Amino acid sequence: RLTQVRWSRYNPSYIEPEVSKELYEKPWEELSEEEKEKLELKAVRPVKAAPATVSSSVFSDPMISKFTNMMMKDGNKVLARSLMAQTLEAIKRTQLEKYHKAPEDEKEKIECNPYIIFHQALKNCQPIIGLSSITKGGKTYQVPVPLKDNRKRFLAMKWLITECRENKNRRMLMPEKLSQELLQAFNNEGPIIKKKHVLHKMAEANRAYAHFRWW
Amino acid sequence: QLDHGYALHTAATDCLSSVVSQDVPSLAERTKAVFYTSENDPANHADHHEGRHYSIPLEEVKAVFPHGLPHRFQQQIKTFNEACLMVRKPALELFAYLKSTNFAHPAVRYVIYGEKGTGKTMTLCHVVHYCATTFLLLTAHLWVKNCRELMQSSYNKERLDQPLQASSWLKNFKTSNERFLKEIKTQKKYVWGTRESTEEGRPLGEVVEQGLARVRNASDAVGVVLKEIKQQCHLGSFRLLVAVDGVNALWGRTTLKKEDKSPVSPEELTLVHNLRKMMMNDWSGGAVVTTLSQTGSVFKPSSAYLPQELLGKEGFDALDPFVPIPVPNYSPREFESCYRYYLDRKWLQHDK
Repeated sequence: RLTQVRWSRYNPSYIEPEVSKELYEKPWEELSEEEKEKLELKAVRPVKAAPATVSSSVFSDPMISKFTNMMMKDGNKVLARSLMAQTLEAIKRTQLEKYHKAPEDEKEKIECNPYIIFHQALKNCQPIIGLSSITKGGKTYQVPVPLKDNRKRFLAMKWLITECRENKNRRMLMPEKLSQELLQAFNNEGPIIKKKHVLHKMAEANRAYAHFRWW
Repeated sequence: QLDHGYALHTAATDCLSSVVSQDVPSLAERTKAVFYTSENDPANHADHHEGRHYSIPLEEVKAVFPHGLPHRFQQQIKTFNEACLMVRKPALELFAYLKSTNFAHPAVRYVIYGEKGTGKTMTLCHVVHYCATTFLLLTAHLWVKNCRELMQSSYNKERLDQPLQASSWLKNFKTSNERFLKEIKTQKKYVWGTRESTEEGRPLGEVVEQGLARVRNASDAVGVVLKEIKQQCHLGSFRLLVAVDGVNALWGRTTLKKEDKSPVSPEELTLVHNLRKMMMNDWSGGAVVTTLSQTGSVFKPSSAYLPQELLGKEGFDALDPFVPIPVPNYSPREFESCYRYYLDRKWLQHDK
């Protein structure tokens, strides 16, 4: 199922850039063998340019940048980023309000860090198996198929964004709605989790066709 | 990294001292005492309190600042469930001046200015809270970007009214200055319409009620209230503090348009006209504290923060003998106390 469509203008001798600062801060003896080989190779071969979205700052997160890219419309990255920032802030505010009003024993259970909430909510939304349509003998069947990691992440984010864009009440802003959905997904409730469960049930119902898969 | 080093150092010394003196719970209190004071009365704030936060109980917040807090700060109050202000040098300076004002002299005007986001409105709120506890009568205003309804004035044919904002101002005035409304009496007869009029000698509360009931005459009611207060202030029964945020709006251009699309200049608005009369120097027995605000001023470049540039020539001449009070950015010590406060309130969530 894999076709080579994309190609890059770089010479194959170019190496991918290494962004994380921690790798460079380690002294020579602590590195493992592969890392030592990589460093030696870097001294000799040329390096590709790093893309603009990847940064070595503490606050950048590949998942968050992927999510902002999916939320972006007409190339308006500024707006998408500001919406993302407002969403994280809204999550933090609601959680902090709950935290400050709660009694002492419940205080430790309330999670305040918006990044942790975001990651956990995405993980809760990811389906485990998906359906793909396979044609055999003139008829198309919906066959349950294991999904790759990238596909799972993409499906979770896509469901989240479409849910926010369609089921809004009038005059409710995107960050507010997104923060509500993320908090619901964090607690394993809400419409996106229901969608995931519906998909799982369909896959379970079509179990008989599972042997149609040849990969 | 510097902050971490400093925090570790203080924590280490505190640990040592607590191990030596064997009192464990005071470690947390001592680190908290660096940025937090339990001195809730702003009248007692002195120099050694500088850089510390003090909290205002929620009931007082509603009574003292019905409309005068910036949006961000209101959100912060809602999130943290309490309002905390930091004691800073300009505020302490203002307190010293206010304590030593001679009430027989004409009112002194203070203008708080500074770059965007350095805390001018917060210093104003601090001063207002201080005056609320030391029995000064308050009037605080916050309409920088005027909008909404416009109507022709009933009292004066050439001027325009703003009924919505005038009525909200009257409501807030009522909540903040209840006890004075019963004591002050009107000294002239005012006729509102064909059937309603206020006699001499009635308490000011009635004028306020009148303005709230008849929305069409609300701005005139505002004008009446201000005039009465000004006249009676130098008799000495109460002291007046006028606190205005964004005073440069009184003299600039407005974004409003009349029905025939011609722009409105501020003299034509009754509320602005009355406010300008208050800012004149001709009454005694109180003080005027104002802030310049770049965020609300239209048609001016965003890097202008000096009084000369923001007020314009007219404003500067009108306010001419004033005491300027610059508000600088946070000093490293203030920054650190703010940082510790946020850490304590769990506002900074990221690990690193």
